[in-house]
Amino acid sequence: MGRPEATARPRLGVAKFASCDGCQLQVLNLEDALLAIAERIDIVEFPEATTHRSSGPYDVLLIEGAISTQEQEEHVHKLRRESKLLVTIGACATAGGIQALRNWANHDEFRATVYAHPEWIESHAASRPVADFVKVDAELVGCPISQSQLVELVTALLTGRRPYLPDEALCLACKRKGNVCVTVAKGIPCLGEVTRTGCGVLCPSYDRGCYGCFGPREQANAKSLAGHFLLEGIPDIEVGRLFAGFTAYNEPFRTAVTELGGTTGASPDAAWAQAAAALHRGGHDAG
Amino acid sequence: MQANAPASQAVYHTETLTRVEGEGTLHLVVRGSDILDARFKIWEAPRYFEAFIVGRHPDEVVDIVARICGICPIAYQMGASYAFESIFGVQVDPQVRALRRLIYLGEWIESHALHVYALHAPDFLGYMSAIDLAKDHRAVVEQGLQLKKVGNDIMTVLGGRSVHPVSMRVGGFHRVPKRSEVDPLRARLEVALKQSLATLDFVAGLEAPPFERDVKLVSIRHPDEYGLIDGRIISSDGEIDIAIPDWPKTFIEEQHEGTNALHVRTKDGGLYLLGPSARVTNNHEQLHPVAKEALAKSGLLEGIRKNPFWSIAARSVELIHACAESMDIIDAYRRPAQPYTPWTPQAGSGAWVTEAPRGICSHNYTVDEKGLVTKAQIIAPTGPNQGSIERDLALFAPQVLDLDHSAATWKLEQLIRCYDPCISCATHFLDLTIERV
Amino acid sequence: MVTTSTTIGFLRRSDLQGLIDLLREDGRTLLGPTIADGAMVYDEIEGVADLPAGWGSEQSPGRFRLQERGGDRLFDYAVPPTTWKRSVFPPEMPLSVATRSEDGSLTIGPAKREIPKLAFLGVRACELAALGIEDRVFLSGPYTDEDFRARRNASIVVAVQCAEPASTCFCTSMGTGPGVRSGHDVSLVELDEGFLVTAGSPAGSAIMERLPLGTATADHLSAASDQLIAARERIGDPIEARGLHDRLLAKLDSPRWAEVAERCTACGNCTLSCPTCFCTTTVPGSDLDGRAASTERLWESCFNEGFAKVAGGNFRYRFQDRYRQWLTHKFATWFDQFGTSGCVGCGRCITWCPVGIDVREELNAIAPPSGVMLTLPEIKPVPPPRPGIFTIASKREETPDTTTVVLTKPGGMAWEDVRGEFVMVSLPGIGSVPISVSQRTPEGMVLTIRSAGPATTAITNLDVGAQLAVSGPMGVDWDGPLELAQGKDIVVVAGGLGLPPVRPVIDNVLNDREKFGALRLYYGARTPSDLLYKEELAAWSARGDMEVAVTVDRSDATWLGRVGIVTYLFDQASWDGSKVVAFLCGPERMIQASCSVLQAHGVTPDRIFISMERHMECGIGLCGHCQMGKFFVCKDGPVFSLAQLGDTFGREGI
Repeated sequence: MGRPEATARPRLGVAKFASCDGCQLQVLNLEDALLAIAERIDIVEFPEATTHRSSGPYDVLLIEGAISTQEQEEHVHKLRRESKLLVTIGACATAGGIQALRNWANHDEFRATVYAHPEWIESHAASRPVADFVKVDAELVGCPISQSQLVELVTALLTGRRPYLPDEALCLACKRKGNVCVTVAKGIPCLGEVTRTGCGVLCPSYDRGCYGCFGPREQANAKSLAGHFLLEGIPDIEVGRLFAGFTAYNEPFRTAVTELGGTTGASPDAAWAQAAAALHRGGHDAG
Repeated sequence: MQANAPASQAVYHTETLTRVEGEGTLHLVVRGSDILDARFKIWEAPRYFEAFIVGRHPDEVVDIVARICGICPIAYQMGASYAFESIFGVQVDPQVRALRRLIYLGEWIESHALHVYALHAPDFLGYMSAIDLAKDHRAVVEQGLQLKKVGNDIMTVLGGRSVHPVSMRVGGFHRVPKRSEVDPLRARLEVALKQSLATLDFVAGLEAPPFERDVKLVSIRHPDEYGLIDGRIISSDGEIDIAIPDWPKTFIEEQHEGTNALHVRTKDGGLYLLGPSARVTNNHEQLHPVAKEALAKSGLLEGIRKNPFWSIAARSVELIHACAESMDIIDAYRRPAQPYTPWTPQAGSGAWVTEAPRGICSHNYTVDEKGLVTKAQIIAPTGPNQGSIERDLALFAPQVLDLDHSAATWKLEQLIRCYDPCISCATHFLDLTIERV
Repeated sequence: MVTTSTTIGFLRRSDLQGLIDLLREDGRTLLGPTIADGAMVYDEIEGVADLPAGWGSEQSPGRFRLQERGGDRLFDYAVPPTTWKRSVFPPEMPLSVATRSEDGSLTIGPAKREIPKLAFLGVRACELAALGIEDRVFLSGPYTDEDFRARRNASIVVAVQCAEPASTCFCTSMGTGPGVRSGHDVSLVELDEGFLVTAGSPAGSAIMERLPLGTATADHLSAASDQLIAARERIGDPIEARGLHDRLLAKLDSPRWAEVAERCTACGNCTLSCPTCFCTTTVPGSDLDGRAASTERLWESCFNEGFAKVAGGNFRYRFQDRYRQWLTHKFATWFDQFGTSGCVGCGRCITWCPVGIDVREELNAIAPPSGVMLTLPEIKPVPPPRPGIFTIASKREETPDTTTVVLTKPGGMAWEDVRGEFVMVSLPGIGSVPISVSQRTPEGMVLTIRSAGPATTAITNLDVGAQLAVSGPMGVDWDGPLELAQGKDIVVVAGGLGLPPVRPVIDNVLNDREKFGALRLYYGARTPSDLLYKEELAAWSARGDMEVAVTVDRSDATWLGRVGIVTYLFDQASWDGSKVVAFLCGPERMIQASCSVLQAHGVTPDRIFISMERHMECGIGLCGHCQMGKFFVCKDGPVFSLAQLGDTFGREGI
């Protein structure tokens, strides 16, 4: 990310695919900070906030939502051509979202569950992240994205520095904050070790385990964590459901879901679960 | 917006309706000043929530359904919680119930303030966005943002974050706040109450296009509180008066070709309307005294009942109510010993509705003996509203046919924005074309 | 009553509130164990009722459970998840504030911090040892953490001897407990009827004098002794600590590292639960315009992705390398750095590892007792580096992505008074980067910087006249090796961006030409357009008193010179290596290859000097990132001899 030219204000656009709009709302939720940003950046397209329309070009394009139809697939290629910096925001755009659970299932059966006339509905069999189709320059993960990370990204863009968006486990933020680990002290399954930080460790601070909505972190060792839960006595399919969440489709959560079950259409493999549990059996005191 | 009008045809075509949550299209066919056809279509890429919820545990469902809507996640979490609680026979502690109303009112404050200031007021004043409005009327927009922020902060304190809160679960909450965490909200709500009273004054001074019609207004009604999470479902003409769990027998979904949005009708095939106008019309007696008085002073009760453009006033009245009731809840708050009521799973079915900011949001689940979902049906408020929007557009269109293209299109879009259709609820398609034949 | 450090007093249980009140005098905040969130948490104590009466803890790998024991004893549990470390070494702390104005001028200074007056109630023997270890890490120099010192000086330490260890404790093996020996102001031993009280410092004695103490009876003393013996026996001796340092460092290639890495999720819990881990990261922040800027220091972990990352790659990409780094640092190289083991045997890393990895098991029963202390040479503390504001006097583009900037400051630089190889260059709100000094000038210095990321790009994009903050110089420079090299032949081998850091060697030799023998420069770059210092290369080639040989990996249409890797320039040379001192800088692989060739020519490792690179953040040996085996690259280097490095050099994942 280089410095924008001193004279021209950067043009920022927001585009949406299959999503709930929560990430766009987080942009609006910046409230007065948004007005300050709007003084420095031309928000030329933001369907949720303004009637201004533009078809580009964009210096920065924020994309929310997963690609799940032919029309969306074609449109995202067009958007890529129009954008200098393409930034995906949120779990739908970065991981296919919760609706990516259909990627394991039979698409026709799913359509028929929801619609009396499934033949009138056109969509892809899979809900996939934007990066599966075009090159993505930066991403803000999360379901929804975090406001402070959004401000950090915009500030870094305006000032020319590398944004501080650490790819580390939630555990560090919990420990810095002084939280007591819900897994160790209460036996509550928590995905924090394998999930990327950024949310402000909300779930452990609210006495529950992390459900992975910021997605797998760098080289996440999901197999080890799954093995640990299995040894604690949680059945395979329940461990699989832990990973079958808002970022299920990104690896290594995807493999864990496929091998353990936990969503319609997954193909569990008992050997995988056994190997995962065996990682710990040697030195693990399950008492 | 484009206007390509050969001599004998005028086409108003908007591919995406801006400033509503999602995309939709509207197509009108006109001869002279007669509206021959009005088709309101919503396109949101289908996400199949009702299909992939199958096999999931109730507490997971509460987390998942929040993602149906980024603006009203609590409405979905609340409806799902109550539906499951009705299956498992769970009674919620009164203080926990009060907290549920509080977090829900927080969502109302955020959503209504967002709608009034950022989504709808710019239309009334001729601006393309709140950002443009702020250039000339910064104080007005800042007031709206501050109101919205109080709503967000209520949800953040109780739920961790305002978009997709993490604290809701079947039986209550994962964690309930200490008294010291909610007290700071009280002072800010006092300011917000003043700001919402000022909002109603501001709104009452706006000019609403004259457009009145009679419509069946449906909402929850409760004898002792402003209907939100419990009571009965009633209609303004008295024809509907049912227990909440009976809703699946009274309201029926239908699929129409050309749109992936499911329409909803009464079992007799009738149209009806949900939302703030319906609630204020049906339940103004149960409003908080401060809100009741402000409504009376504005003289807009009739307008709210008959003119969809006055929905902005209905939201403003509900803003006042939400601030006032929130203050009362905080005053009476004592931290419950247990944040949730434990429950055991059993097989069964349960249906429940609650009042999302935009209107009734309906849930219906069947679970097996482990409590895992085997069947799910979820209806967003915009499902039922679609039909009314279509009908209202047809009724209103003659008023704008003499305007130039972009003005007419904008006016029609504005009418649609009155319903604040929650288009991201995987249902609605909005595209505006007027074809003169 | 005159109290001495050997006086043992007895405090009735009902008088404990009096001690609490004393500790809270004058606005002092008392911290101690409270029950919260399923564990004990150090929080504010106002009265005895806040303490966890009748509670115990059951701990095992990956598991902590509160136990209700009943009764009114207050300290019958082992260490809680929180550490006293967070009170003297905050997890998040503002470091500096700065402003940058439109014309490019800067102001920069330390952030305001308040040092609270604190008292700690219930510090265990292992925790006392941990505080002592932190004293050595942060205060033995050459650079010291004065914020830490101030917080330590502002805290009163009231220790409590353990009676109920957990199954995860191993203080006995590490020689740190369970008996409290030193480091406290006041020490308590809890008995059923009350507390034995002793003082460990004048401040402690002063507190004792104000307490309504009775005399400890023989029964009291024997109960205390029985308690201690029982505790010690319960813990046993889980690790064979003698000789662990050497044994551990001999096993850097053990297959066990890969095995434990299959279980490890690199979540960082062990490092952030540990009472002695000290690594931090510094994060820049600013307002939207970058005018008001700040830096913040956060606890960091060597298990994190970015910890050992530099522009060219990640020195510890594999989890097994990160785990090895942590374990060998904690139990072995910590001795070399600070004279003691880094571990106090508190067991937190075992309890709070969510997948239950047990470090004792991993060490295979080896750990040196921390009673063994190596005497390290005394290090003279030096004043902390304060950033100076430098102005860009001129710039020269070397290649499309590398720029030489000439920096000056009013008053210039008194180079005779300072030593150092590199400086930390910072642009507030953007970041801070370490850059080798390629020329020392009376007015300032000259740096050659490649635009490798946002910070270096921002710096090289600055206009002439703009300002930067520069701290230093720091680190071991070439001066020592150059003294050694007098009278000998000099060989300089540089690759790519390695030429600027090693340039001072050439300049020094040329300035004092008659003191040295032959001077040979071997320089390689990827392509002709990547060659730096083209003017200087031409000038050096034109002199009669040095040899310059240049090569490129890939040539272009204009290049008429040598093509091939830099070792080709001298692998057939005929000079006598026994008279040579070599100076190298460049990509590590190039250095490795060059060292092989040099040694084949008879240049011994004690005469080969290398400037090493690792991820540097603070530049002063306190944040932990730049560790390479037992070395901190920023303070033990960056210039090392090959002999010094031993088999640390060239080993993957170090």
